[in-house]
Amino acid sequence: MSVLQLSGFGVDIGEQRLVSDVSLEIGEGEIVALAGASGSGKSLTAITPFGLSAGNGTGSARLGGEELVHLPEAEMAKLRAQKIGFVFQQPLTALTPHRSVRQHLQEAAMQAGGGAPTTRTMLAMLDAVGLADPQAKLAQYPHRLSGGERQRVLIACAIAHGPKLLVADEPTSALDASLRRDMMGLLTGLCRKQNMAMLLVSHDLASVERDADRLLLLKNGEVVEQGSAAQISQKPKSGYGKALMAATPRLTEEMLTLPDTGETLLEVRGLSVRFKKPGWRAGYLDAVKDASLTLAKGETLAIVGGSGSGKSTLGRAIAGLGPVNAGEITWQGDLLPPRKKRTAQHRRLIQPVFQDPVASLNPRWRVADSIAEPAEQILGTRPPEARIAELLAEVDLPAEFAERRAAQLSGGQAQRVAIARALSANPEMLLIDAAPSALDPLVADGVSRLFRKIQQERGLSMVFITHDLALARRCAHRIAVMDAGEIVEMATREELFSTPKTEATKKLIRASS
Amino acid sequence: MGQLILRRLMTAIPTLLAIIILSFILMRIAPGGPFDGERPLAPETRAALETAYGLDKSLPEQVVQYIGNILTGDFGPSLVYRDFTVTELVAQSLPISLLLGGLALILASILGISAGLFAALRAGKWQDEVLMLCATLLTALPTFVTGPLLALIFGLWFGWLPVSGQGDGVSWLILPVIALSLPVAGAVAKLARAGLAGQLGQDHIRAARARGIAPLTILRRHALRPALVPVASYLGPAAAGLLTGAVVIETVFGLPGLGRYFVQGALNRDYPLVLAVVTLYASLIILFNLAADLIYGWLDPRMREG
Repeated sequence: MSVLQLSGFGVDIGEQRLVSDVSLEIGEGEIVALAGASGSGKSLTAITPFGLSAGNGTGSARLGGEELVHLPEAEMAKLRAQKIGFVFQQPLTALTPHRSVRQHLQEAAMQAGGGAPTTRTMLAMLDAVGLADPQAKLAQYPHRLSGGERQRVLIACAIAHGPKLLVADEPTSALDASLRRDMMGLLTGLCRKQNMAMLLVSHDLASVERDADRLLLLKNGEVVEQGSAAQISQKPKSGYGKALMAATPRLTEEMLTLPDTGETLLEVRGLSVRFKKPGWRAGYLDAVKDASLTLAKGETLAIVGGSGSGKSTLGRAIAGLGPVNAGEITWQGDLLPPRKKRTAQHRRLIQPVFQDPVASLNPRWRVADSIAEPAEQILGTRPPEARIAELLAEVDLPAEFAERRAAQLSGGQAQRVAIARALSANPEMLLIDAAPSALDPLVADGVSRLFRKIQQERGLSMVFITHDLALARRCAHRIAVMDAGEIVEMATREELFSTPKTEATKKLIRASS
Repeated sequence: MGQLILRRLMTAIPTLLAIIILSFILMRIAPGGPFDGERPLAPETRAALETAYGLDKSLPEQVVQYIGNILTGDFGPSLVYRDFTVTELVAQSLPISLLLGGLALILASILGISAGLFAALRAGKWQDEVLMLCATLLTALPTFVTGPLLALIFGLWFGWLPVSGQGDGVSWLILPVIALSLPVAGAVAKLARAGLAGQLGQDHIRAARARGIAPLTILRRHALRPALVPVASYLGPAAAGLLTGAVVIETVFGLPGLGRYFVQGALNRDYPLVLAVVTLYASLIILFNLAADLIYGWLDPRMREG
């Protein structure tokens, strides 16, 4: 019997139809995934039937036979409390900061009208979602838990009242790559075991194949392809499906040849960074321990690792943006001084592209000013408009973009502007900190193609910081794996994947395949 | 938490000391002195007075002596109201200021927080706009306008309430308390509205809605405490100001509170009186900021750390 049935379902916001004609059916213990690029309407389709978006549902959405479209909010709230569980994208902010894990679980267990759960029951709930040391966690406030732990607590809350349907809106996209596999395994396992139906929204096509029974691909609010998840993932029929699949890096894909590399430019020896922990006498945190690496002309070195592994701190230290406590960095044999003593000439060599492209652009500045700034500061003269148009063309943006401001750019466009800005001072090397919550697969693929093109044309060296091993495999000559502040393994991509030596590397490979 | 309190009290001592020394010196640098009346005193009289009050010693000597006296609880004699010690003057006037300020603080919090929360729930609707317009007006209107205006309307035209001095019962308190609380209430309303409106868009509120929790329960359980953080940070220092005397309101309504003594003391160069009030004010500021920090910790546990 079907738990959720959408037929001819659409979503309107105001006069605008954002999603139209979606039909799907989910039975007990079944998992159906909605996938597509951002703006495709996949999240709207998943949460609008239950009254949680700004949009209005049209057509028909039935939950166990009850029609949801046009149901008043009070009744909808009752239905949500009794029959549905939700897991959202942002585990970091979806728990109320001043309420303990115990209070969250109590509220969730009682939402369908049941009595207060005993401590023993709550411990069992936390145990079922694989949270370590549940006894201590019960009394904690959310900010004391890591992202993965919070997502486990949220999942425990979502299923505490024994829902018939679980709606998971990109439940892993804000998590570390190494956690994603575990978390999806947990969710799918729970569904199968408790006979829950799950509606899963995902942009991670590489994983949907394994997690879902059926898959719907959405584009601009319309279903372009639907069917068995395995079939679509391996042999998509629609052009859009093919493009999405090609844009998603996988460990199983063929390695493309990368441009040749030249002489060694950058050499890092025994670099360490430590931070003082907050509070009195709290001691130090060794963020980077004794890291050594080299980078050749035209080479891309990927630094991969989980969150908190120190990869961004190492990158910042190399670029002269963060502190260095020990070790030395040389460029073609010449010592690069600590960050405050670096001259304009030193700073020209290495230009950064930051994690969050929108936040790294000054919202009050025109794109032209943002792009001109490094050249102005480092080369001493403001580049002429023609030069800015050239840089924009190099990142495949039209010259009109020079007049725009950051708020008028999409995520992908902002990323391109940030790249143009990094190029404006004619650097020898780019330090690229890839966003942890990946951009849309199509956009992300466009940006990584752009990096490859720039590298080929300019012969640039790149340090590419990412947690996505499959992406590193696609674009980097060599890969350094970081774990707890140390570079535990560094090898060519061929070597790393054929003979991984350390447990950390093996774990990352398992999590990505 | 105990550690936090202890640490803050430890840093309070040097802070207070610095404030006392600085105000002591500033007072002395200011031209004029306590014995410059309309009628010049005979040089011998003045010299005798200065010797009596220890004003003929060097400035560092005076500072050290003064601080020594404070430690024993002696804030010295008033140089202008010569029959009273400073302690007596403060003991007389502080209760009035505390009563006035305390009531105004409570009234401002109740009015401001409820108006702000209501406006946030009606965000963008007419109730929100009207309330916020009122709040802006109240914040902008100085008490020397609202005070006399209230006295004029309710005291003189309608004759409902006394306009000056302390009468019997509590009716004399009503107008000054209202006048004193209005600007604070306006500011609190704006902060509470912004705080709650900011909270309502957060992910954890959506997560609570997804659990089907009733809207009022969501407000009370999930949104209220974090929404009040900005209110708490404003009310800490505001409370210290209200409690130590509102000069304008005390003058308008003819109440012998601390504020008036402070201003008169400063004009008369009544050094011990001014210093005593400054010390009191500074201690209260330190205390209320500590209280605000403790309240933050309760409102949002993330703030309990570092």
